[in-house]
Amino acid sequence: MNTFPFSRREFLRTTSNGFGYLAFAALAGEQALRAAPQPMGPLAPKNPHFEGRAKRVIFLCMQGAPSHVDTFDYKPKLQSDTGKAAPSTAGRYGRANLMASPWEFKQRGKSGLWISELFPNVARHADDLCVINSMATDIPAHPQAFNQLHTGTTQFIRPSLGAWTLYGLGTENQNLPGFVTINPPGNATRTYGSAFLPAIYQGTKIAGGGGRGGALARRFGGNAPTATVADIKNSRYSTAAQREQLDLIQSLNKSRQKLDGGFSPEVEGVIESYELAFRMQTEVPNVMNLDDESASTKKLYGIGDDATDTFGKQCLMARKFAEAGVRFIEITHGNWDQHFNLKTGLENNCGEIDTPISGLLADLKQRDMLKDTLVIWGGEFGRTPHSQGTDGRDHNNKGFTMWMAGGGVKGGMNYGATDDYGYEAVENRMHIHDWHATVLHLLGLNHEKLTFPYAGRDFRLTDVYGSVAKEILA
Amino acid sequence: MMNLRPAIVSISLTLPLATSLAQEISQEHLQFFEKNIRPVLIESCYKCHSAESDKVKGGLLLDSRQGAILGGETGDPGVTPGRPHDSSIFTAMTWEDEDMQMPPKQKLPDDVIANFKKWIEMGAPDPRETQVANATGGRREIDMAEGRKHWAFQKPEKSTPPSVKTDGWAKSDIDLFVLNRIEEAGLHPVRDADRPTLIRRIAFDLTGLPPTPDEVRAFVEDKSDEAVKRVIDMYLDSARFGERWGRHWLDVARYGESSGKESNIPYPHAWRYRDYVIDAFNTDKPYDQFLREQIAGDLLTFEDKRDQAEKIVATGFLAIGPKGHNNRDRRQFTADMVDEQIDALSQSMLGLTLACARCHDHKFDPVTQKDYYALAGIFLSSDTLYGTPDQQQNNNPSTLIELDPEAALPAAIAPISASELASLKSQFESTSETAQTMQREALAMRQQGGTQNNVATFLQTRAARDRAAAVEADLQLFNPDGTPRTLAMGVLDKPTPINSPLLVRGDISQPSEIVPRGLVEVLCAEGEPLSIAEGSGRLDLAWFIGSKENPLTARVMANRIWLKLTGQGIVATPDNFGIMGMKPTHPELLDYLAVSFMENNWSIKSLIRQIMLSRTYQMGSTYDATNYAADPDNKLHWRMDQRRLDAEAIRDAMLAVSGTLDPYPVAGSPVARVSEDRRGLAQLLGELAANPGQTRSIYQPIIRDQIPEFLTVFDFPDASLVNGSRDTTNVPSQSLFLLNNPQALKLADAFAQRIGKFQGEPLERLTHAYMLAFSRSPTENELAAIRAFWMRFPETVQTRASKYSAEGKKEAQGLALSAFCQSLFASAEFRLLN
Repeated sequence: MNTFPFSRREFLRTTSNGFGYLAFAALAGEQALRAAPQPMGPLAPKNPHFEGRAKRVIFLCMQGAPSHVDTFDYKPKLQSDTGKAAPSTAGRYGRANLMASPWEFKQRGKSGLWISELFPNVARHADDLCVINSMATDIPAHPQAFNQLHTGTTQFIRPSLGAWTLYGLGTENQNLPGFVTINPPGNATRTYGSAFLPAIYQGTKIAGGGGRGGALARRFGGNAPTATVADIKNSRYSTAAQREQLDLIQSLNKSRQKLDGGFSPEVEGVIESYELAFRMQTEVPNVMNLDDESASTKKLYGIGDDATDTFGKQCLMARKFAEAGVRFIEITHGNWDQHFNLKTGLENNCGEIDTPISGLLADLKQRDMLKDTLVIWGGEFGRTPHSQGTDGRDHNNKGFTMWMAGGGVKGGMNYGATDDYGYEAVENRMHIHDWHATVLHLLGLNHEKLTFPYAGRDFRLTDVYGSVAKEILA
Repeated sequence: MMNLRPAIVSISLTLPLATSLAQEISQEHLQFFEKNIRPVLIESCYKCHSAESDKVKGGLLLDSRQGAILGGETGDPGVTPGRPHDSSIFTAMTWEDEDMQMPPKQKLPDDVIANFKKWIEMGAPDPRETQVANATGGRREIDMAEGRKHWAFQKPEKSTPPSVKTDGWAKSDIDLFVLNRIEEAGLHPVRDADRPTLIRRIAFDLTGLPPTPDEVRAFVEDKSDEAVKRVIDMYLDSARFGERWGRHWLDVARYGESSGKESNIPYPHAWRYRDYVIDAFNTDKPYDQFLREQIAGDLLTFEDKRDQAEKIVATGFLAIGPKGHNNRDRRQFTADMVDEQIDALSQSMLGLTLACARCHDHKFDPVTQKDYYALAGIFLSSDTLYGTPDQQQNNNPSTLIELDPEAALPAAIAPISASELASLKSQFESTSETAQTMQREALAMRQQGGTQNNVATFLQTRAARDRAAAVEADLQLFNPDGTPRTLAMGVLDKPTPINSPLLVRGDISQPSEIVPRGLVEVLCAEGEPLSIAEGSGRLDLAWFIGSKENPLTARVMANRIWLKLTGQGIVATPDNFGIMGMKPTHPELLDYLAVSFMENNWSIKSLIRQIMLSRTYQMGSTYDATNYAADPDNKLHWRMDQRRLDAEAIRDAMLAVSGTLDPYPVAGSPVARVSEDRRGLAQLLGELAANPGQTRSIYQPIIRDQIPEFLTVFDFPDASLVNGSRDTTNVPSQSLFLLNNPQALKLADAFAQRIGKFQGEPLERLTHAYMLAFSRSPTENELAAIRAFWMRFPETVQTRASKYSAEGKKEAQGLALSAFCQSLFASAEFRLLN
């Protein structure tokens, strides 16, 4: 049986001849720019508000809230007062005993930053790190704080930092998504969502191969252990054939838009998403292919070592994305919620990321990319200086640490401080809003001017808050 | 509209009251305690087991009565009044258990041990009061009278619909509420949806499937006034309705077939709850009853065995939540499970985030920590039975509930023959013997000294035990005659209810005052008793929630239904009606719907019908520049939102349109059959990923954190969280899925075959494809685009060699047809509801 229902002759006979090819040409004309990246499209590079030192961001996001007092916030008094009752000024913490960090801190680099033995390799880059010890966020609960870290709000659905960045600056490579998020937590679509910004600004998820997801995936044979973008390759049609098919799809979409009264953000989003997907098919596999990297580069990132392989590959991929012109790259590393098992849990986590991060910093530097790539490390909040049980620490939102490197921040410095034990930021407190303002500033964006009109008012990432920490600008 | 500031809950700081925990103790008992017990505790136990200890060992505190009874991290009670052998401190004293000998260095004298035995037997009288910890911290006190003033905590009342300026537009009271607001804003409603659009909307909204071309034609031709009502009723009566709306409920019931979290252990019996939900929607079970059954179905009266069994299955709601099975601390595990139950129940049924009050009084809502522990007592007095075998990854195994065979509920697995059963038995015997032998050898090695506790030996022994336990679990699936037992997840009352102590900071090692089991104060009228008279209290809770007196229950559900039918909730945060939730855009309408819902005996179908018959629902989704400028979010409902179909509807529609949908419900779940040939979950998921079959998506296995790609790519929610409002993202991964995924290609092929077989002229075939996919005919523009595709695509896929052969041409044409059909699936219109 001939499965082909419309012979060309029949087709020409029965369809409206009066309309014909001209009409199609008109339709096709609307997308004449399809093959070439649209220089005026929503992702085209845009001028920042002022000259920014950072061109792109690599955000190493530690989900679960890493302990600051065991890593980057050295507290001699906590060490000496271990076992004593936590001060009543600790407010909500009530009865509990202080617990010294089980890890030794040392001064590193010329700058003499105090970093614990959990990060021996990152510590070698101490003079490039700007360690912010005075971070603060509103709510000591993971979902809300994780949301605030990414969107500024604990509660509402708002665009994420990556989406705002992409909206503000566009991206340099029209064949790649401008915002990629590697191994995001399954329930955290908001952290890469665009909310009321046009859908094209949301992050593209690269699944697989990561943290808890990776371990589970291996056990269940689900995701491949190496990171992949799902369905990136068509098994049947050549690129040329697929382009023909896509032209048809886009014609149908344009037609639908006409039927909808000429304006439909939903349909517009679908149209843009197809064009990006089509271009990604060629470009993404190239960038994600790590085979061409030298053995020494792989070693630098800890690729091949059991503990560091997954995160190492993700960091190397991040560098390749950065190099290819992606504006915002986020990697999530999970399982930092050490309510118990602090000793082994935190040690394992740090062991998984120390070499890869150190490799990333070294690699960016040797490629002269660190100067305009802002690398950020941190989680949604920190942990209490007192113990929870015998081997754990509770949530602490009033004081914690994040660090930044490259991209126009001063290296080898501590910014702000917590109290003697590490409970609360007491000097140069940097709330998430301030941090957002500072990150945007480094990118050349004024957080008060980066707005989007929505439902009758202009929205900002920082709402009505935020001030730039000028002291950390190089 | 945005950023509604929370109303301020009046807060005052007061010092907490010292709470007396003292029992009535006779003078004689008091003397016994003071003379024989307290000194020993102080002398021999407090060093490691009191608040003053440097390190509290094993989480056990013996310096208060509460601590002693609660016990330590093992989860066993330290002291069970009246029962020395159920008292872990007594067992430890006797040094009988070689793993637990206390005090560790020197066994206590026999007479002291005898005194403890006697003391426990006399009921463990203990005058020691617990200090309320955190006494210096200062606790804010919530003003309940003030809290009750929040709009959502006042009972809904039906108000008279407002008058409107435009005559003749409104078809129902709903429309008056909506039109009034549109007019106030100086806007106007857009024109009605055309017939094909309307039936497509109704069909998807009620069944999650597109209307058939015949249904569309019949509806377009039916000019009677009753036409809309007729199609609504037709779809409401269809069994597909429950599969659609049941899934909406499963979203808020955080339905999953595995534990999620670290171990992610399968829950092979969870599907019974899923089917219960589908049936409840199909039979239009009154919503109040539906909720009561999920909270306390086991305690409700029943008509017959079947009814009873189904009501027990309903309590699966409480058992299917995500759990951290690998937690070594059974008490912590239980506390977390109870917390999850409170969280899921309060968000899904009440639109409240009560779990926020676990560690402190609710930061925003007038809900105290006491409220929380009053509820916690209810769940602690219930046995949650989720049925998982003892494994290395599972320190918290549980049994299941066996339902009466006379209930004749369906089974997920087939009976096995006598020989299969015998083989399973012998497998069990041999595996458990192996495990025992290994255990003995390990023990012997240990007694011989040296580096006894060799990790490898431990792991091997553990693995052997795990194998035996897994086989045992399989064996337990069957009756002695090889027929499957009817097992379910669910909840039953414990024989003796208990009250929970308030845990300072939610910390199980910091018990404070005992809180009597009870209900949520702010939702009860002032002065109304909150406490539980008898039993766990789940029955009271069930009637408290499934009640017209509850200000939230009907509102929350009416809002959920409105949200699913219009694309946005009257309250935009459907799972949070608290102070941090959004305020209703149309409060009077919400109350009107809620009261109507209750008046109609909580009939979900009636409420859906009522909304669908409104003109508001039947409007077009056309763009209007003036309206859009004033209200871009369409909060005023000046048009119907253009909505994206959810993941299930997209896949099910692809199956239906391609003619390959298997419309029959599936008894059981692939997860239930994992044990069948012992292939394991990994292999099963692999197979299902490659070939998910042709049944409706609701029957796909929902393994937490391992959700099938075709669901996650279109924003299937996190199966561990209550979610009344799914995200709709628009990302390239969706485009890639529809362009490249093998399943998408396969369904396009099937669609192409269906069109290929359709008898008729080419244009008729093309129209048929359009009718199937979009419920309409193609426009001239579209025909031109299709024709252009048609002239070019076959040439592009032809190779040089195949160009000149008839076979080659035919193949290219077949590919073109498939690519065309795939384009219809991939187009925006397929996934959008106008």
